[in-house]
Amino acid sequence: MSNQRADFAEFYRRSRNDCLRAVLVNVGDQDTAQDLVAEAFARAWASWRTVSRHPAPAAWVVRTALNAGVSRWRRRRREIPLPDPGSLASLPAAAGAGDDPVDPQVMAALLRLPARQRQVVALRLFLDLDTGRTAEVLGIAPGTVTAHLARAIAALRHDLMPVLPQETSS
Amino acid sequence: MNDDALLTAVRETFAGVRMDTPPEQIVRRGHAVRARRRLPRVAGTVAVAAGTAVAVTALLPASHQPGAHLAAWTVARQGDDAILVTIRQLTDPAGLQRTLRADGVRATVTFDDQQNPACRNYSRPSSALTNSVIGMSLGNRELTLVIHPSALPADAGVQISAGRLEHPKQGGIAIGLGFGLVQASAECTGS
Repeated sequence: MSNQRADFAEFYRRSRNDCLRAVLVNVGDQDTAQDLVAEAFARAWASWRTVSRHPAPAAWVVRTALNAGVSRWRRRRREIPLPDPGSLASLPAAAGAGDDPVDPQVMAALLRLPARQRQVVALRLFLDLDTGRTAEVLGIAPGTVTAHLARAIAALRHDLMPVLPQETSS
Repeated sequence: MNDDALLTAVRETFAGVRMDTPPEQIVRRGHAVRARRRLPRVAGTVAVAAGTAVAVTALLPASHQPGAHLAAWTVARQGDDAILVTIRQLTDPAGLQRTLRADGVRATVTFDDQQNPACRNYSRPSSALTNSVIGMSLGNRELTLVIHPSALPADAGVQISAGRLEHPKQGGIAIGLGFGLVQASAECTGS
């Protein structure tokens, strides 16, 4: 048991930030993302014997967190905190916005993507999953993953090129 | 900037996002999950009945409440016969209700977080049915509902209700938007 706990603690330490970032891209609010990811890691610990043998345990956590978010949303009328879209891009001085660790324009661009594109981007960006593994995690065809990623990159490029720091060539 | 460089630049903007929950707290929560799993399942009926309504909440910073930011909405019919409802601000629910009904959608709309008292829950609730009739997405500065009137059963209507809610944890006011199916009637949905 103590070995299992140490194993889980190491997994948590290693992957928690990337899981949080991947979920944040999808839900848009850091408090909600923290809670969903904490719940997902708790479920991972509750089934650690199984989850530890999963080919991509961090992806399992992200998928579980996103499913938990959807379940909450559908279960009954209750709050799913999301950032006010208007406050993201144009109101950086709004209450609390100054504490936002993510560039509001980047977050706004990500939130404009359709949900499936956001999921693909999140798994690729933060968990470094290849196309095949992303397809397995999301239960879609590899070709669909490729198409979603291409569309997402095109949209992000359109929205963010004026915002992101540019490469310099020598 | 190539694709990898673009994605790297996006990833780097998240460097400050960190999970601060200590592992001991996760383990304790995991024990609670195990305990929950041992409980008998008694809430199935409630879950099914509640499957007709979903909700989303958008947080508005307290310093940017009503007044100068009053809401607007638009209704547009798409090529596939779907109705696209874009809500930017919460105002004139009666106008939105009239517009939807004129477009052939049996609908009831309230923006005071109160349901129309004449409305009753749909008699055959189903998450799958609700999802086939209404979908929602969050865009930049707006919430979008896509309504498929052709998927709406003859005895059902669409309910859209929203309201401002105190949200002390985030130090602001939230807007809650709920939608689902109700039993169609002249008093509730117009027909």
